Amino acid sequence: MSSSIHTEILTAPLDIQTACDFVMDDAHGAIDTFIGVVRNHHEGNQVQGMTYDVHEGLAEATFAAICEEAQERWAGTKYYVAHYKGELPIGGISVIIAVSSAHRADSFESCRYVIEELKKRSPIWKKEHYPEGKSEWLPGHSLAEAS
Amino acid sequence: MSDITLEIKLYGAFRKFGDSVNLRVVSGSNMDQVKEALSKELGELVHDSALANDNTILPKSYVFEQSATLSILPPVCGG
Repeated sequence: MSSSIHTEILTAPLDIQTACDFVMDDAHGAIDTFIGVVRNHHEGNQVQGMTYDVHEGLAEATFAAICEEAQERWAGTKYYVAHYKGELPIGGISVIIAVSSAHRADSFESCRYVIEELKKRSPIWKKEHYPEGKSEWLPGHSLAEAS
Repeated sequence: MSDITLEIKLYGAFRKFGDSVNLRVVSGSNMDQVKEALSKELGELVHDSALANDNTILPKSYVFEQSATLSILPPVCGG
């Protein structure tokens, strides 16, 4: 992985300052961030928390591949991508993406690209927890089509 | 042909079956044959899932020649 891309899976709380520190660059005038947070509802159901399951090796490799694709489209950009593994309460941070670039347009566009691709391609699964102890794994994008 | 053993690690919706399952198949089996055998243990979701090793998702054309540790990846929803 290049020194301008950092990806990781964490079981400790994700930290936005760590993300910004990594992408900080004297030649860059813009940092764009995406923070994914557990919300208290989904499709009309009350949600009390979320568990994230992750294939760590493949997920980190997928993050890196996505960032490298983005660097080809938006030259000179820097990336930090971290995703949480384990259980989070409402308000817990599940993913942080930070992108820096010389000018703001590249940061906005490439950050959006990374989160959209991450959701479609990364081997990560969410289990929602509901009142009265019920829980359910959420449906998602099949990777079988990509193979 | 001899049999091989595939240890299949489980994620997401497959966790209800444990952390992994062992599957015995004939050496030289193709992806469809392995998924069909695996679906008998884990259900139809296997057909919407991908098989992977530690580094990459295995292509549809993959042929299983040797015993190995793999993962079955159900549809993903990170973020």
